[in-house]
Amino acid sequence: MYLVALQMLINDKAKFVGILLGVTLASLVITQQSSIFVGIMTRAYSAISDIPAADVWVMDPKVQYIDDTKPMAATELNRVRGVEGVAWAVPLYKGIIRARLENGQFQNCNVFGIDDATLVAGPIRMVHGRLEDLRRDDAVIVDRFAANTRLARPPTEPGGKPRPLAVGDTLELNDHRAVVVGICDITRTFQNLPTIFTTYSRATTFAPRERKLLSFVLVKAAEGVDPGELCATITRHTGLGAYTADQFRWATVLYFLRNTGIPINFGIAIALGFFIGTAITGFMFYNFTLDNLKYFAAFKAMGATDSTLLGMILLQALTVAVLGFGLGSGLVSWFGASMQGTALAFRLIWQTLLIAGAAVVVISMLAAILACHKVVRLEPATVFKG
Amino acid sequence: MTTHHDITAAPARALAHDRPPAVRCRGLTKDYGSGTARVRALRGVDLDIPEGELLMLVGPSGCGKTTLISVVAGVLDRDQGECSVFGTDFASLSSGGRTRFRGTNIGFVFQAFNLIPTLTIAENAAVPLLLQGVPRREALERARGVLASVGLGERTDNTPGKLSGGQQQRVAIARALIHRPRLIVCDEPTSALDHHTGMKVMEMLKGATSERGTTLIVVTHDSRIFEYADRIAHMDDGQIDKIVTHAKDL
Repeated sequence: MYLVALQMLINDKAKFVGILLGVTLASLVITQQSSIFVGIMTRAYSAISDIPAADVWVMDPKVQYIDDTKPMAATELNRVRGVEGVAWAVPLYKGIIRARLENGQFQNCNVFGIDDATLVAGPIRMVHGRLEDLRRDDAVIVDRFAANTRLARPPTEPGGKPRPLAVGDTLELNDHRAVVVGICDITRTFQNLPTIFTTYSRATTFAPRERKLLSFVLVKAAEGVDPGELCATITRHTGLGAYTADQFRWATVLYFLRNTGIPINFGIAIALGFFIGTAITGFMFYNFTLDNLKYFAAFKAMGATDSTLLGMILLQALTVAVLGFGLGSGLVSWFGASMQGTALAFRLIWQTLLIAGAAVVVISMLAAILACHKVVRLEPATVFKG
Repeated sequence: MTTHHDITAAPARALAHDRPPAVRCRGLTKDYGSGTARVRALRGVDLDIPEGELLMLVGPSGCGKTTLISVVAGVLDRDQGECSVFGTDFASLSSGGRTRFRGTNIGFVFQAFNLIPTLTIAENAAVPLLLQGVPRREALERARGVLASVGLGERTDNTPGKLSGGQQQRVAIARALIHRPRLIVCDEPTSALDHHTGMKVMEMLKGATSERGTTLIVVTHDSRIFEYADRIAHMDDGQIDKIVTHAKDL
């Protein structure tokens, strides 16, 4: 009878498509909005992810998230290096510096100053040039997206296209000359500002004059030392804040969740997807069951038990849930793939699929409960009422 | 010979048949609604139907025919009285037991056919077997055989929408016959059909059941098919007021 249930569902093409559309729509909205939310959150901590060499990030204890830099005295670097369990520790400057473009306009840039000696924390995906070229005079490496857009040079002729910033071009960073020696790929950031890499010592010359300029100390744990325990040790010995990369990522995400309107905006969109999906699917599925009520009554009269009929309805609901979820998530995956490399923040993770799948199953089951209620209460004698 | 039974004599006369009763009802009552809106659909119906008999149930609309066959077929609970089918009283069975009993012993032919439009006619005819857990392949094979016996062997893969009304009713008959029930309950099986088709359907129904000794209860307004009845029970106002063997005695 379960195959009969599927035939009843699938062969009634108009209603089947209607129900499927409701579930697909819900799945699509929930998955797509969740993926954009995750994408934005991922961008929020992209700077942490792009520096995989560091096990521990050390910072001023008041720092709440990656962009919340509270510079420390340069001497803190040596204090951290002196902590037992630290294999190495390097300085990192992170700050926003204004660049003057060739057309006279200004553009704020996210500047990373990495350790002069080791170049640890440099970009991991070079497109043009070499990381080592940062050791040349006034050298900077620029991210490709910014080089093609915000930092692009003006067109050579009126009405022409801007020319991407290229190796050998120069910039003016806070009245200092900077020479592009490389172009790199980075994970997009939340603010989407151009990202510029240079050495720590050069970054401190680009930066506005301040007494303290050390944003972070990046630490590698000695072999056999647990990064989590090392954080506690560093904090105990230096009084500084210390997080593992994962902890710092979560701290950043939690900051955005607690202090911005992002969660509520996306939460509303996701909830709308859920409720609209439930309403459409519930209505269509209930109507589908109502239309088939006389057949269910006939089945009852002919010897179908309530459990058989409930099984049929639940199977129908589960089928539209699985198909709708598959279609919805498939469309979202296609959407995500086609938007790759654009400004859209999009990241589809298995947890999102799991949650969206569960939501779609809940939607379908809610729709099925209404239908089941109707069928269980159905008197088989109604079959004689024409 | 023409016999004419009055209501008080009907049970005794029916028992006079030499076959055991397939259906035995005594003092059946059934009310719908409550309070001032209460309607008494059955007012103490006594009825015996011997095995293998084709009984037609006739009477004006609202006289209780459908309620009576619903109670007899075990799809509606009675309020008072007794009713047993092949010696089994539905009241003594659990809900599941009643469902299983219906599935095994009773076939149904509905006025509106109630064929599922999205299934082929073979699948429609196979439904009672599928409900009994018969494997799909076997059920469909048997459905094709029964459909062939009602003249639809060439159209087993069609959906009901592609068939005429008479052909659809033949599918419904095939569905009612497929699991070899001992009792078939038919509600206005010819009302949606023209005279010629109605006759053919009744011939088929009677032919298919007489050799197996299946008991048939046919609710009908269609006087043209009375000739197929062994007996005709006339109902009025919730009671059987006469049972005759020939339509002219009604």
